Amino acid sequence: MTFTRAIAAAALCAAMSAPLAAHHSAAMFDDEKVVELNGTIKEMQWTNPHIWIQVVVDNNGQKTEWSVEGGSPNSLSRNGWRSTTFKFGDAVSVRVNPMKDGSAGGSFIGAKFKESGKTIGRWE
Amino acid sequence: MRTALLAAAACVIAIGVAAGQASKPASAALPDWSGVWQMIGPTVFDRASVQPQNGRAGDPGVREFPPLTDEYEAIYRKNIERIKAGTFPDPISVCGVPHGFPRIMNVPDVYEFAVTPAATYVLAENGPGIARIYTDGRKHPPAEELWGTYTGASVGQWEGDTLVFETRGLKESRDNDVIIDRTGLVLSDAARVTTRLRKVNDTTLEAVMVVEDAKALKAPWKVTKQYRKLPAGTWAWDYGCAENNRNPISGSGKTLTIGPNGKPLDKNVD
Repeated sequence: MTFTRAIAAAALCAAMSAPLAAHHSAAMFDDEKVVELNGTIKEMQWTNPHIWIQVVVDNNGQKTEWSVEGGSPNSLSRNGWRSTTFKFGDAVSVRVNPMKDGSAGGSFIGAKFKESGKTIGRWE
Repeated sequence: MRTALLAAAACVIAIGVAAGQASKPASAALPDWSGVWQMIGPTVFDRASVQPQNGRAGDPGVREFPPLTDEYEAIYRKNIERIKAGTFPDPISVCGVPHGFPRIMNVPDVYEFAVTPAATYVLAENGPGIARIYTDGRKHPPAEELWGTYTGASVGQWEGDTLVFETRGLKESRDNDVIIDRTGLVLSDAARVTTRLRKVNDTTLEAVMVVEDAKALKAPWKVTKQYRKLPAGTWAWDYGCAENNRNPISGSGKTLTIGPNGKPLDKNVD
């Protein structure tokens, strides 16, 4: 294991054992279900109490904007995220626990940047 | 008249100083709790009794087993049913509402513990979250001068390296406007919590809390929380919950999600 990988593994372990930061009930999300969104970033709102990643998915010309909720910038910044992690126009795959009622929203699980192949969050 | 007032003021100051000198330790004698800390484990308040084991606060059917009176067991069960229905909002979702005590010892994000001779301050990043623990020799205000507040009134003293304090004057949950955690636990305004806070090793702080509540509990309820020290140089940040709160609460208690057009994404808004 390289040093970088060891650090990453340690950070992941720490993140997994730390309490999740959310300021509201998560009842609206289906944590049994995972949806993968393939689209482009419209905006990341690097704000408290949660960051929001706005992802536009183009399905044969039918564009849908998804609102993906993440943790607080405070906790995410301590786990390697930056306010510039997602930039306008980035082509991404984003995995979410979707809203139970089928609305275009979800809770962030992980993402992969199509150009660089880099991942963030949980992406196995 | 003026002389009498000055004499009275001097007397008040002298009494205050004497009270402070009675138990206030010198700075050098105080333990070093500097740095940034994070609670270990998830935000179920009493992880020793939670069922199912490793259940997460807020998940349907997850509950703890404090020695609740029949009245408060019924309240808890009602709240558990509301969680199942998705209509049990967290009061802190309305940004600006404090977690209160003892929940402030059970929150995500990070903590700082500012120890001074006259008081120790628990600073929870996720907030607003400040608990003031006075150690200047004062007593709790008499009952007629207290009213229920989220974080109550905490007074303590040092027993070696352990800060022992009692918290009184806690706000009674009215329609769940203050909760212990998202499993739906609440206490009454009779709650008193005795906390022993100490550093068990270089990287671990421990809070052992004994909750007594003549209305809500049949017996004292002991809960232990631990906090891990994060690497030197870790930052705690401002937590402006109202900055971009996209999760308002509906009339029925449902937590909504605001979409890009400023309106709820949810299909059923009641």
